[in-house]
Amino acid sequence: MSRPWILWLAALAPLCAQNIVIQNATIMTVTKGTLQGSVAIKDGKIAEIGEKVMMPFHATVIDAGGQYVIPGIIDCHSHIAVDGNINEATVAVSSMVDIKDVINPEDIAIYRALAGGVTTANILHGSANPIGGRTIVLKMRWGKDAEGLIFEGAVPGIKFALGENPKRPGNPPLLRGFTPAFPARYPATRMGVEDTIREAFNQAKAYKAEWDEYAAKVARGESPIPPRRDLKLEALKEVLEGRRYVHAHCYEADEILMLLRVADDYGFKVRTLQHVLEGYKVAPQIAASGAGASTFSDWWAYKFEAYDAIAYNAALMHKAGIVVSLNSDDAELMRHLNTEAAKAMKYGGLSEDEALAMVTINPAKQLGIDNRVGSIEPGKDGDLVIYDKNPLSDYAKVQKVFIDGRLYFDRDSDIAGRPAKALEKQKLIDKEKQSQPKPAAGRRPVE
Amino acid sequence: MRKLLPALLLVCACAFAENPRTLAIRNAKVVTVSGPVLAKATVVVRDGLIEAVGEAAPIPAGAWIIDGEGMTVYPGLIDSLSTVGIPSLAAPPAGRGGRAPTTVAPPPTPAPGPATTPAPTPPVRGPEDRPATTSWLLAADEIDPSDHRIESVRSAGFTTTVTFPARGIFGGQGSILDLAAVEHPGDMVVVPAVGLYIAVSRPGAGFGSTAGFPGALMGYIAYIRQVYLDAEHYKLVREAYARSPRGMERPPYDRALEGVLASKRVLLPANRLVEMDRMLRFAAELKQPAILYGMREAYRPEAAPLLKKYGAPVLVSLHWSEPPRDPDPEAYRTMRSLEDIDQGPAAPALLRKAGVPFAFYSDGLDQPRELQRAVKKAIDAGLARQDAIRALTLSPAEFYGVADRLGSIEAGKIANLVVTKGELFDDHTEIQMIFVDGKQYKPAPEPPPGAGHGAAEEPGVSQ
Amino acid sequence: MKLAGLLIGCALAAAAAANNSVLIRGADVYPVSSAPLRSVSILVLDGKIAEIGPKVVAPKGVRMVDGRGLRVYPGMIDSATELGLSEIPSVRETVDTGDLGEFMPQLRALASVNPASEHFPVARIAGVTGAIVVPATLETGGRPGAAARQYLSGQAALIRTFGWSWEDMAVVAPAAICVRFPTLGPAGGRGGPVPDFIAGMMGQAGAETYTQMMRTYQQELAKLTDFFDQARRYQKAKAANLPGLARDLKYEAMLPVLDGKIPLAVEAAMPRAIHDAIQFADKQNVKIVVMRPREFGGAAAELKARNIPVILGPVLALPRGQDEPYDEAFTLPAEAYKAGIQFAFASFDNQFVRNLPYQAATAVAFGLPQDEALKAITINPAQIWGAGEQLGSVEKDKSADLVLTTGDLLEIQTQVKHVFIRGQEIELTSKQTRLYDKYLNRP
Repeated sequence: MSRPWILWLAALAPLCAQNIVIQNATIMTVTKGTLQGSVAIKDGKIAEIGEKVMMPFHATVIDAGGQYVIPGIIDCHSHIAVDGNINEATVAVSSMVDIKDVINPEDIAIYRALAGGVTTANILHGSANPIGGRTIVLKMRWGKDAEGLIFEGAVPGIKFALGENPKRPGNPPLLRGFTPAFPARYPATRMGVEDTIREAFNQAKAYKAEWDEYAAKVARGESPIPPRRDLKLEALKEVLEGRRYVHAHCYEADEILMLLRVADDYGFKVRTLQHVLEGYKVAPQIAASGAGASTFSDWWAYKFEAYDAIAYNAALMHKAGIVVSLNSDDAELMRHLNTEAAKAMKYGGLSEDEALAMVTINPAKQLGIDNRVGSIEPGKDGDLVIYDKNPLSDYAKVQKVFIDGRLYFDRDSDIAGRPAKALEKQKLIDKEKQSQPKPAAGRRPVE
Repeated sequence: MRKLLPALLLVCACAFAENPRTLAIRNAKVVTVSGPVLAKATVVVRDGLIEAVGEAAPIPAGAWIIDGEGMTVYPGLIDSLSTVGIPSLAAPPAGRGGRAPTTVAPPPTPAPGPATTPAPTPPVRGPEDRPATTSWLLAADEIDPSDHRIESVRSAGFTTTVTFPARGIFGGQGSILDLAAVEHPGDMVVVPAVGLYIAVSRPGAGFGSTAGFPGALMGYIAYIRQVYLDAEHYKLVREAYARSPRGMERPPYDRALEGVLASKRVLLPANRLVEMDRMLRFAAELKQPAILYGMREAYRPEAAPLLKKYGAPVLVSLHWSEPPRDPDPEAYRTMRSLEDIDQGPAAPALLRKAGVPFAFYSDGLDQPRELQRAVKKAIDAGLARQDAIRALTLSPAEFYGVADRLGSIEAGKIANLVVTKGELFDDHTEIQMIFVDGKQYKPAPEPPPGAGHGAAEEPGVSQ
Repeated sequence: MKLAGLLIGCALAAAAAANNSVLIRGADVYPVSSAPLRSVSILVLDGKIAEIGPKVVAPKGVRMVDGRGLRVYPGMIDSATELGLSEIPSVRETVDTGDLGEFMPQLRALASVNPASEHFPVARIAGVTGAIVVPATLETGGRPGAAARQYLSGQAALIRTFGWSWEDMAVVAPAAICVRFPTLGPAGGRGGPVPDFIAGMMGQAGAETYTQMMRTYQQELAKLTDFFDQARRYQKAKAANLPGLARDLKYEAMLPVLDGKIPLAVEAAMPRAIHDAIQFADKQNVKIVVMRPREFGGAAAELKARNIPVILGPVLALPRGQDEPYDEAFTLPAEAYKAGIQFAFASFDNQFVRNLPYQAATAVAFGLPQDEALKAITINPAQIWGAGEQLGSVEKDKSADLVLTTGDLLEIQTQVKHVFIRGQEIELTSKQTRLYDKYLNRP
């Protein structure tokens, strides 16, 4: 009876599956150049890279002859895997809500992102609020539950939004076609957006002072009643303390500068500017602030604030010394961030490594996870993607994706499994048809 | 003429006379639920309670004897999540074996009695405005015995409902009601407060509506979390003040938080596996004993182990996913929705097998035929009949802490009984009589096919 | 003899002065209509391709462009855009697609094209020299909140992406009449239930039953058919020179379709909708082009049998249903090719017209032969839209709409070095390049 054997091996597989050797490939490490050779993964982490590597215990060997290996792609702006509306648009400051509460690990977009080479994504609240909700970083570990997707140790974030989007609820007619009954919500202008942010931090400072006083009393040995926890202000307190990253959606140069100055005034840092399509106009100021910039490769003109967007934005900001990443903000676009990176070579003349960095090590740095992911270096997580061609070519296809050294996507398996899936579905459809009464209308003719 | 008069008198007597307070159903098959099935036994009822059950149970003198030959006696069924008794409420919006209700039901009209949260003007600014929160309400205070659904549901064999003021986010606490035809609503109440009904969506609310915060699911969760944080803080402050009020600023009275603190458990909606996981974690975070309701995807292999891990009891909706009626033959059907329809009714059997405690609830079904068929579906899909019965009797009694007085045929328990010809939930079985608090009721005649909900032509209920 | 020479000399000098003559030397030419040629020259005279060959001698005064190391392709043609009709979609005043009215075949996209739109330079410096401009709303398939359902949206036009006026830019106008054909269920074909919060926003009551949908469908179809019948009656009356016939602009607009000169451009995503559209066209005896199909199914054979071309929407698109293969949209072009259906690519957009070749590249990665991909952005659209004689390939006597690149036209990293439209070299600047230069050189 061979069955028990198979079961036993299958039980071992999860353990062994984290020891992998990918050999004969072109390995683009991003940070340490490109080489021909192999990469070994042991216990889920990158162990060794070189022309030849030591074979870890019981490693699965993958011959990637003629293929390319890059670090797993990191999308710094995504809204996938969320249950319900990505916006809590009813109030101007919604920092009490948390994307972490509504992770949907069964969103097929996760799998599709994997199939596009994405292994980590920064899942954000929408842009309907000057101060939006709390955000989270996920790994695309398809098949795990909500908790299992969370990127352990990644600093949590919060979403801010400047420009047209957060003002829209203040101007119901701007919600073209949607219900005009929506009551107007302050702010309706960019001035109001700034005021809203300042006011919120004003309150947050007072809240923080309350808690600092409480902590001081406790340190002195007293037992006061703690202040009331206010989730909205708590998130902003964490921003003030540097424990929560600010990811700010912004477009125009004026609002970018505005936020940098507000941050200075209140003593916090903007971690990333998102979209930042006019970032090239205030590049020196952004560089001085230390904020990262996460932008589109070539979106423009869909809104007035995007009218001056240029495809050279990433290159210009990069040249100014800003850490730049290219993101998707879209479940479809995230499937080909490799080609978005290639556009940075076309528009601005960046090198292969510079371009690839924009979807790997740069977003990793922006999210504070570059000690774990973003490049192929020993000690980092085994998050790797195998392409059949140079990933900066738009003819390239993702073949395999590893996260933590475990195979999460395999194009061949995906294709092989399709007939069975389709059959299974057809069976259910047929079964249901049989149990139903005959439909009233037959195949209707086209007159 | 001579023969008519006594007959007439007898009829009048039956119609108007008080039901005898002592009765015995003799020689019936008795499904006690708490013990073995008795093939031929007697159930003695006195003063609304079961006095004795057994093959040789002594029948008191003067008792009204009902011949139970060929009949089966079951404990009265308990609907573990209902709105019956509050006529203004439709079925609990969330949990219906289907999708979230944002587009389905129109906003419920405000119930009479205590003011509920009206359509907000000005718009809700945030959690501090306590949107859609009436946590201090008890269903017991809103009962209207003239709710036509009472008779309909009772005719299906339900003697008891756990009725909740299911509206808004924190609608209030549910009450256990015996479906007796009484004048005073208070006479129906078995237990006035059994737990808070919490919803994470509202019909007509959301982006673009006038309802205000919260709009997104995460908004609801954040709001509920904030309420519980506030309640914890409120309790701290209140207790500190009670200990030594001198020199301390007096805390305000917050009836919403009082309501939350008064509740000993919460009901949370979960249909999809992802929602089950989410709600179980959430309840653990809030440190609230929770009962999940809905359970549409409970058939999935991951569901039972997850539920077992947390040990939370669950309420399974009887409103099974149905194939769309008159669908476009080429409309896209997801695999998940097909599986929901195909395997949904198999969930109870799987839960039983895994040892996950569960009960059924009507989820808006209030016609006897609908309810019977719904339970039968689960039985056909593999649930043992006795387990189906338990899911409608002793299990819900246990979940709500009233197993000492409801849910089985045992001496000392409330005399809620269903008497049938044939096995309960089979297609041709007829319910002969129902006893609520020891009073006999006849099932209302079935409305003719195509008639509206529960509009019985004749009053079929005997006193 | 001398006189002839003098005349020719003058003509050539005039041509040279008009600046639409050029000699491109030593490039690798990809004619599309035939195999690639290595290291040849192209002589353009008076905006037309005069000669292609290894040794071409240019007349005096004709400007020379060094093509060594470069490739020459036909200018690309995008088969569905809003170029010139829409500037910033979120600013309604700048949008001129999607008017009101049920039957509006008389609306002319061409005459509303703004040649100064910033979108044109961006498109043409990427090598897109031709585009179909569509009068209907492409993005949402309809104006949100539009009262009446629209059946006929107006006349699409094939234009060049450069010109001093829309007249100047026009190539084929009208090129087609756009139809929003009745469909059961959503026309867009994006499967799966509408998320509740969106359904709530749009006030949908919930799914209609098949019977209800069928009823609506039949009513709409009847309305459309009725309109066509009226148009035919008008056609006959006009042909018979009936006295006192009042000029009807709508029916007039239908004449080229009814005469079989131009097709209906019909949006149909799923096999059933495609089949219905074909049946309708058969019955009405008109030509059609199917826009944005997402699945062929049994309709593939019908399309092939009648030689009905299709315009494929963005290849980089999500699958239409939850359970569908992730590369469903990527493999559709290869499927069309295998089924023998002629197709062209289109961006159905403005801002992504410049990415047209990259859509084609993805199709190649997922099974479409390279040559076919190139055809689908050059000769196929030229033929489909009735400009097959003038555009779409690098051949003698065709219009000199050319793009010179540093490499494979479909590869992102390839740079465009020269673009010619009607033999005139296009300045490779746009709003974007100007802003780039400005900030690159910021002191």
